[in-house]
Order: sequence, then structure tokens, then C-alpha cells
Amino acid sequence: MKNLRMKAARAALDLSQQQLADAVGVSRQTINAIEKGDYNPTIKLCTAICRRLGKTLDELFWEE
Amino acid sequence: MDQYHTGILVGLTAGILAGLAFVVFLFKKKILDTHFDERQEQARGKAFQYGFFTLLIAAFAYGISDLLLGRWCDTLAGVSLCIALAICVFAITCILKDAYLSLREKPRTIMTFFALLSAVNLGLGVMYHISPGLTENGLLTYRAVNPIMGTATLVILLVYIVNYLLRPRDEEAE
Repeated sequence: MKNLRMKAARAALDLSQQQLADAVGVSRQTINAIEKGDYNPTIKLCTAICRRLGKTLDELFWEE
Repeated sequence: MDQYHTGILVGLTAGILAGLAFVVFLFKKKILDTHFDERQEQARGKAFQYGFFTLLIAAFAYGISDLLLGRWCDTLAGVSLCIALAICVFAITCILKDAYLSLREKPRTIMTFFALLSAVNLGLGVMYHISPGLTENGLLTYRAVNPIMGTATLVILLVYIVNYLLRPRDEEAE
């Protein structure tokens, strides 16, 4: 399932996939795969992304 | 061991040592790097698995072919064929999953290196083909190792380039 909330949060900060990837220490393709729902990140990467985007884990990754 | 075989042993040892020294140099110069992210590690694990099973199947197939067809190549050439096949499967799987190059490796540098490696090995193959010949009494000799490895690096290079060219452009603009 696509992670549109993460994509929206990144866009709100005017960050490109590459900039977010550099900030959390992964490749751009990994950020793209997470947003497309092709890859489930570990909790370590999730928290790094949340910190950089200023969101909580619930806000970005919790599925109702 | 006669003089001919001692020469082969010394040549192979020198070649392997020179190759290792060159790889160490590339790591020291940060041209090669092994820092992969978690998705890449996972994808590479799967690729290793495919490469490993390819090696098993290729080695078995080589053994069977030797048994059924008789000797058609010397052991080093046969083993090199199996290894090259396994390396290709590993590399192509990694490339298709965007996990071949690490976070710090520069694609252009690595692919230029691959192009050079292919050119040198295939060039040596052509040279051997002219004289003294890749085959002896109908048997593919150890001299075929260079063109085999050259072909493997060329295949990897071509797959990388084609994959790059076919990758959807909109992903990068996001």
C-alpha cells in the first residue's frame, strides 16, 4: 500500500526524495520504494524518517 | 612439477595478488565501498541466494556435461564459466533491485571501470584466440578465463546501462 502520508509530509517540507534519503542515510530508491509501498522499513529507519519530517510514527506509518 | 606448470602457477599467483592489491587500492581511494542501506542489504541477500544456487546448478551441469560429452574444457575454464554465470545472476538481480552500487559508489566511475575490465579481458581473449589459441586438441583451455570474465563484466555493464535507460524518469523528479 502506498505511503501517501510520508510523501505529503516530505513535500510539505519541500524535500526531494534524494534530500530525505541523504538525511536518513539511505538511497533515493529506498525512499521511493517506501512511498510506493514496495518496501517495509525497519523501525530504526521509520524513526529516522519521522525525526527528519517532524512527524510521529503513528502519523506516518500507522495503518488503520 | 615441470617448468611449464610452474610458470602457470607463478603467473596465476602473481595475477591474483595484483588483482587483490588493485581492489584494496580501490577501497582505499573510496572508489569501491560496502555501505549499503537496509533495503539494499535485503535485496543483496536474495541475490546472493540466487547466485549461490546458480553456482550449484552450473557446477552440477558442468559435471554432467563432462560425463556425457567427454572432456570439452579444462577444469579452470569450466569452473570459471560456473563462477561467471553465478556472478552474472547475482549482479543482474542486484541491478534490477537497485542494490548493486553502494551509497557512496559513483555509477559512472564503476561502469567505466567495468568497461575497461571488459575491454582488457576481451582483448586478451582475442589475442589468445589468434595465438596460441583458446583451444588445444578441441579442449577449451585456461586461457579462456579472460574472455569468460570479460563477457561477464560486459553483460553486467550492459544490464546496468539498459536498466538505467529504461528506468521511469518521473521517479527522479519526485
